[in-house]
Amino acid sequence: MKLALALVVVLVAARPAAALVVTDMLARDVALAAPPTRILSLVPSVTESIYALGGQARLVGRTDWCDYPPAAREKPSVGGMINPSIEMIVALKPDLVIATDEGNREETTVQLGRLGIPTYLVHAHRVDQMLDMVTRVAGLVDRREAAGPLVASIRGRIDAIRARVAPLAPPRVLYVLWPEPLIVPGRASHLTELIELAGGRSITAGEGESYVRFSLEAAVARAPEVIVLADHSASGTAAGRQSPEKWQRLTSVPAIKAGRLHSIDLSILHRYGPRVADGLELLARIIHPEAFR
Amino acid sequence: MTDRRRLAWALGALMVLLLAFVVAALFVGSAALSPGAVMRALAGRAERESVEAIVTLGLRLPRVLVAVLAGGALAVAGVAFQGLTRNPLAEPSVLGVTSGAAFGVVLAQILGLGAGVADAVAVAAFAFGGALLAAVSVYLIALSPGGLAVQTLLLAGVIVGIFFSSAITVVISIVDFNRLGGVIHWLLGNLAPVPAGSLALFAALAAAGFALILRSARELNLLALGEEAALQLGVDAERLKRRVFLAAALLTGTVVAFTGPIGFVGLIVPHVLRGVVGQDNRLLVPTALVGGGAFLLAADTLARNIVAPAELSVGVITAFCGAPFFVWVLRGRSVRPA
Amino acid sequence: MSALVEFRDVGFAYPRPERRRAQRFAFDAVSFAVEAGEIFGVIGPNSAGKTSLLRLLTRVLTPARGDIRLDGRSIAALAHWELARQIAVVPQEAARPFPFTVEQLVMMGRFPHAPGRFFESTEDAAVARGAMAATGTLPLAALPLEELSGGERQRAMLARALAQEPRLLVLDEPTSHLDLRYQAETAELLRRLNRERGVTILLVSHDLNLAAELCDRLLLLHEGRVAKAGTPAEVLEQSLLERVFGARVVVDKTASGRPSVQLDWAAERR
Repeated sequence: MKLALALVVVLVAARPAAALVVTDMLARDVALAAPPTRILSLVPSVTESIYALGGQARLVGRTDWCDYPPAAREKPSVGGMINPSIEMIVALKPDLVIATDEGNREETTVQLGRLGIPTYLVHAHRVDQMLDMVTRVAGLVDRREAAGPLVASIRGRIDAIRARVAPLAPPRVLYVLWPEPLIVPGRASHLTELIELAGGRSITAGEGESYVRFSLEAAVARAPEVIVLADHSASGTAAGRQSPEKWQRLTSVPAIKAGRLHSIDLSILHRYGPRVADGLELLARIIHPEAFR
Repeated sequence: MTDRRRLAWALGALMVLLLAFVVAALFVGSAALSPGAVMRALAGRAERESVEAIVTLGLRLPRVLVAVLAGGALAVAGVAFQGLTRNPLAEPSVLGVTSGAAFGVVLAQILGLGAGVADAVAVAAFAFGGALLAAVSVYLIALSPGGLAVQTLLLAGVIVGIFFSSAITVVISIVDFNRLGGVIHWLLGNLAPVPAGSLALFAALAAAGFALILRSARELNLLALGEEAALQLGVDAERLKRRVFLAAALLTGTVVAFTGPIGFVGLIVPHVLRGVVGQDNRLLVPTALVGGGAFLLAADTLARNIVAPAELSVGVITAFCGAPFFVWVLRGRSVRPA
Repeated sequence: MSALVEFRDVGFAYPRPERRRAQRFAFDAVSFAVEAGEIFGVIGPNSAGKTSLLRLLTRVLTPARGDIRLDGRSIAALAHWELARQIAVVPQEAARPFPFTVEQLVMMGRFPHAPGRFFESTEDAAVARGAMAATGTLPLAALPLEELSGGERQRAMLARALAQEPRLLVLDEPTSHLDLRYQAETAELLRRLNRERGVTILLVSHDLNLAAELCDRLLLLHEGRVAKAGTPAEVLEQSLLERVFGARVVVDKTASGRPSVQLDWAAERR
């Protein structure tokens, strides 16, 4: 018994010598024995990036929420983002796990570290961080050559959209993440930047941190000219769809008078991955339809 | 002073207080309307689609009405539970009934029921079902031959409350993880302007619950003698208990269906009123209706102005008041010689 | 004289033992009558069924067999509130917690007379005050019941029963928690009520001497059956008592001519 115990201790404590050290997006040093060939992604946007880069051969696992592109569903899932099954992760024998500091728990990273599985953390709040993330992921899956063109194409599309809307006056936009209670994006939310890139000005851009529980009457008083409702229903339940009736009654609001009340699919806009340009275009078409005729 | 006279005085004073709060609530808010603008809107002289008209008449006024209704309903439900259990600590949130109702609402939403008036009936029905389930569970857990002991009742309430709260989280995270953030906010209580049709429904359901409890107020007093003694005086104790139970669950469920779970109103308001009008339920029930409305309105006005333009949940305010209050009442009971 | 209360061949059994080791209790063929205007006592050992008898009388329990009549009418035909207008029960102890005042308590006794009312009428208030006056509790009217002494509480509960304006007043162990002074007061009060208001009194007591002093007739219960019914002198007979209570006793006479029962300490010691 004692021998077995000693053996276990030795095995757990022993770590392969680091052949490679990379720095992740939170400035942590991640030591790897060799360039990773079995990568497990706990982040939907990272999964999307890996497929967009053509590096899916090295992807051994994903989460339930990593559902784009559809081909990704063929990879085994380890559960949710908050509570992935550590056992399943271990069973897939990854040599690197990619996680984010928003959406995955720190505890998961710590647990994996104890088990000798290195974790690479990504953090993307703004477009440039997101593009940086794509480049880094390309390095991890050894598809560096694909990074350049992908990033360029995304950036190109974003710049094109910006160019289209730049000459137009930015309308006041209210983005409704959740209607009751009213929850809106604040200063640090990536949505605020997206709205700005799409040629609008979020009326809640200066509030709080990421997401703020906001007063409906203050929103009304700020007279938004466009209202965007985040549609949660893509995840399957009808309950996620916001009902426009509640907003139609607010007839003093310019957006309602002009009939500019729109829905947008949450799943595209709230993931900060390669489809960010798609999301941005959807948003821009809502905010500046005249620029896209 | 006779009972009737005391009731009239108390009700009069509370109505004045309520009116003052209503006026205050209409004039303050994060839309920064001038008092003149508000008055114009109230007098009907503001342009129909102006900011002041929309905010005052379309947002603040309905919200005020919801707060008054919800507060009154919760306070009366508190009086009812306290009369049934002969325990001043019993109230919908302490007994886990509010959590049960919230679970009912979440279930209804998962099944696709939305916010329209027709759906509102169904949501209220689910909430009522959840409230009833929780109330019955607490009652059965806490029942013993000696009656409902304080400690057992409170513990049962805590357990049932935790159970339903966990159930809510589980259901949401399995079915629709994206909604979890929004639901968690809702779970702290959400007084929002409700459309006129739904408001009428809310008022009708609350009125039904209130009427049932008011009718039973005299017999509830007699229940304090003990069920056997009450029976010997001619009170049909079983039917009385059932009636009051159902009515209290109806009130709780209705409020939660429209405003999300808000706690402690049924604890604070009846307790304060007992100091003013005494223990007689015939006086407590009507005064709780008005007093509860005033209290919740005041709490909500605070909640929506204290960090403007952001908002606090009204449930946060009532909990901050309620928790120390709970301790105070609890200690008051145990200090008195048994 | 007509019987006010009649038990005719009443049988009853609790569905299962209340305490696991207790025997299954049953009433068996119990028959007796209480005459209008008398003071009637029910005595017997602890598990003889005295409390069950009260519960059967007030329809808290329903007999399995037999009939209970009030003034010739079967009580099964009466609603609880109708019964409450005729029979008032003074329980052994006040319920706890009880947050009301004495006056509010006494007013509760008016419920059976107008159960549909919301507030009591001025007539009700007058009757309540009369009941409080008769029991000497008028000065205590505004006090919370829980602040009173044991004797005062007892009198307040008696006032509530009187406010029901009953024909039959039932008392469950009226002096079990009272000290000597209050025992005497209670006994005197009951006698006075019986004499002046003509209220028939039925009291259940394990205090044999109180029962002997106060009651016109006694009913001795033993294991759910009637052991003896009659005057105190007839019922409180030495060999009968020894059989029923399982203890050696000595029966004497008090100054008023009533029997007085004492444990035979000398025999017990032997």
